[in-house]
Amino acid sequence: MILVIAAELENLSVIRHFIREAATALRLSPAAIDDVELAVDELATNIICHGYNGQPGDIEVEVKANGEAVEIYLRDQAPLFDPTLRPEPDLTAPLEERPIGGLGVHLARQLTDTLTYRPSAKGGNELLLTKKIDSSSPLTEEIPHGNHN
Amino acid sequence: MEITTEQIQTPSVTILRLNGDLDGSNFREVMKKAKELYEAGSRHLLIDMSQVPFMSSAGLVALHNTALLYGGKEQLDVENGWGALKATASAGEAGMQGQVKLLNPTARVVKALDQTGMLSFFSVYEDRAAALASF
Repeated sequence: MILVIAAELENLSVIRHFIREAATALRLSPAAIDDVELAVDELATNIICHGYNGQPGDIEVEVKANGEAVEIYLRDQAPLFDPTLRPEPDLTAPLEERPIGGLGVHLARQLTDTLTYRPSAKGGNELLLTKKIDSSSPLTEEIPHGNHN
Repeated sequence: MEITTEQIQTPSVTILRLNGDLDGSNFREVMKKAKELYEAGSRHLLIDMSQVPFMSSAGLVALHNTALLYGGKEQLDVENGWGALKATASAGEAGMQGQVKLLNPTARVVKALDQTGMLSFFSVYEDRAAALASF
């Protein structure tokens, strides 16, 4: 299943809907579907905001099964950039000392089994996310209660 | 996303109610509305997230920024976005600091906050009356 769509923030909801439909068809669990929906949204947002940086372009999203995993490819023609090289953020810093933003790739890593990058054969970028069909992120079934009152 | 507000007089609390997915397409609207409320004198903000089925890290940016705003700290310039930081006019002065709390965030919102280490920065309430009484 392939979706090609303009790299615009208004299309994020269309991409999420496509991911949910495709992942459901490939028998990912509801929790795992939630995970890949957010992971793809984060990476697509990065492509739109930082890759194309306001310039027009397309994002190609391909979802397919590979054995016991679902593979999701995100391809674009933006300048070459490998988001997997981004260092992990410091999640222990106080709120006022943290940089605002920069958490999208961290979430994408957390929510998928693998996240890999390579320059695409067409000259742009290609990200591959995989999610095992029976897996979900560790916190999916046990929602934390943190500072609840 | 639909954004509505409700002003409670006693105690003085502004409820910011979000309805819809919170993502990169609309997080600036939330930041802008919070800034308008703060500049109009609001110091106690309760964000009702019971109708937010999906939130990306862009939503985390909006919450982080709003917490800094109400805390009188530096925040993102809403108009210029990611790169630009500017301080609030009277950052840190007595009487300028306020509080931001969350009401009934959905499980996915709580999970995103938790996975980024941000959950502990917000008091989270499941009961509106208890939330209002906490300010």
